[in-house]
Amino acid sequence: MRRAPERPRTGSVVHPLLAIKLPAWRSKFLLFLLFCAFVVLALRAAWLQGGGSTEFLQQQGKVRWLRTLEVPATRGKVTDRNGVVLAASVPARAIFASPEGVEATPQQLAQLARLLDMSSSELARKLGDDDRRFVYLRRQVEPQIAARIAALKIKGIGEHRDFRRHYPEGMTNAHLVGVTNVEDRGQEGVELAFESRLAARSGSRRVIKDNLHRFVEEDWLRPPVDGADLALSVDNRIQYIAFSAIRQAVEASRAKAGAAVVLDVRSGEVLALANWPSFDPNLSAAERGRWQADALRNRALTDTFEPGSTLKPFSVAAALDARRVTPQQSFQTAPGWIRVADRTIRDSHPHGVLTVEQIVAKSSNVGTVRIAMDLPAQALWDLYTGVGFGQPVRIEFPGAVTGRLRPAKSWREIEHATISYGYGVSVSLMQLARAYTVFARDGDMVPASLVKQQAAAGVVVLRPETARQMRRMLEQAASEEGTAPQARFAGYRVAGKTGTSRKLRDGRYVNEYVASFAGFAPASDPRIVVAVMIDEPGAGRYYGGDIAAPVFAQIASASLRTLQVAPDAAAPDPAKPAEPVLAKVAARGDKL
Amino acid sequence: MKQRALAVVLAVLLAASAFALVTAQHRSRALFIELERAQAQSKSLDAEGNRLRIELARAAQPAAVELAARGIGLVPIESKRTIFLPAPQGAGTCGSAVKRAPECVEAR
Repeated sequence: MRRAPERPRTGSVVHPLLAIKLPAWRSKFLLFLLFCAFVVLALRAAWLQGGGSTEFLQQQGKVRWLRTLEVPATRGKVTDRNGVVLAASVPARAIFASPEGVEATPQQLAQLARLLDMSSSELARKLGDDDRRFVYLRRQVEPQIAARIAALKIKGIGEHRDFRRHYPEGMTNAHLVGVTNVEDRGQEGVELAFESRLAARSGSRRVIKDNLHRFVEEDWLRPPVDGADLALSVDNRIQYIAFSAIRQAVEASRAKAGAAVVLDVRSGEVLALANWPSFDPNLSAAERGRWQADALRNRALTDTFEPGSTLKPFSVAAALDARRVTPQQSFQTAPGWIRVADRTIRDSHPHGVLTVEQIVAKSSNVGTVRIAMDLPAQALWDLYTGVGFGQPVRIEFPGAVTGRLRPAKSWREIEHATISYGYGVSVSLMQLARAYTVFARDGDMVPASLVKQQAAAGVVVLRPETARQMRRMLEQAASEEGTAPQARFAGYRVAGKTGTSRKLRDGRYVNEYVASFAGFAPASDPRIVVAVMIDEPGAGRYYGGDIAAPVFAQIASASLRTLQVAPDAAAPDPAKPAEPVLAKVAARGDKL
Repeated sequence: MKQRALAVVLAVLLAASAFALVTAQHRSRALFIELERAQAQSKSLDAEGNRLRIELARAAQPAAVELAARGIGLVPIESKRTIFLPAPQGAGTCGSAVKRAPECVEAR
């Protein structure tokens, strides 16, 4: 039904269809509600902006733009005394996955397995473990390979920064330098011993990101601290010489193992410390199962053996120092054996009357026992302890052993005799090498060091005269009249003592031997001490003079040449050339 | 009138300083981005340098050198095949190889 159009009071004409039929209060009420809502928002905004607490907005800002980042720092390098890199860290990547979120085609998975150097089944096993939200696929991956993995763009696979330790010298220095684990912490060797110095401390900073994920501001919480570098006392050239010599000797004599130590006489620094068998420290954590247990031991520091004849010079030196004997004093060693308590001690060959010098040179057990029994046991023990036997080696290396030397009061008469020629006491090769520095120097000793250092002050153990006398005797021992003519090499005078000691197994002496040699060169002004030990030589020959002395010659001659030590042996007369080459040189004049 | 003019001037100054602040902040952030980029480059060059030093050490490793030397027919030095000659008296005595000989040190 139509109604007549009303005349509106405002004056405008409203068409009947457009006339609002609602009550007026409704629209006003709605307007009022909107106004209230607006007021509430305005109040809330005012509150958040500073009227009340700004906490909420700041929190929102932080969540969107603020990040706290860990800043990695690099572990210190390990170098030899000349700066050759023995261990260094390079950045790498660790590849991880969250197994539930991985979406990949079979081809992608196959490619991934190939890049990770894993079998497909192993990769499937790792990714199939749905219980875990995070699993490492492989750590310490090279950045180029990681880039190729990232290029596959597999969902659910990520990478983060990691470090990988490289050992360029490989097996040569493996025992000395040691290894780190995936967390970049030292596990063995110098890496462990100097962990606090080498370790890096990562830093932390807060950054503000923009919407392009660039950092626009930063605030340091803690600066990163790189690890300090470490210079070892080792000379890599000499280390290699010692390592290859000992390796050749062990393999040639079919022995179980071998070790060699080279010490600098003047500073006590360790110039080389080599062991065979050795291991490859560059294998990644996953591959380390390939290491053999017996290849991991740093035998020169952690294994002990009965030194045998290499101990005799110390027994004689104790008697010389106490002025009980003189070098030319004679002793009767016939008929080649002696009875002490209820045991018989024999020489390998019967000698007749020998001077003290000859007793050392020819390594007579009988002669040594006669000399030693004349001295109180305490005097012998004092000297052995003074040169470091039975004492902890003060060197920063994990697992360096002390050896065994029982107190003099506990020695029975037979032990007083046997200890004097090296049985009943056990020492490490490092202790033996260090002990011989007392003869190489003038009766004093300096502490051994694995780190490059200046010479420390010496502790006096013997009178200089005694040391000089012993040097002469040891030079004889390494000559034709002695047991180690094979220790000699051209150009330099050498001095040293052989040792061939039977091994103890289950309390009984068996037919296995340790062949050893300890000596120094050049004899006129010693610069290096070299000690060599070959464990259980197997190819029929086992005497120290045959097996260990040639190794000493090889190591010492090459080391002296490397260190450019002037030769001290008498040179052949060029006027009477022994070789055709010399004649040519003499004819050409002195243009060398 | 004067007060109104002052208010306008101050308002304009305020606005100007606000703009200056925003511009300075923006510039500082832009520079920071450049700095980050340069530092990242420096770090990666350091790492590259380290990596190359390791490569060098590996190539110069005595074992590798010996292998290569044997491969071209060289043999290691042995004292058996070394001839020792007495140093000639006079100018040549204290050359580099015999610097440490006792007689040279005393002569100085």
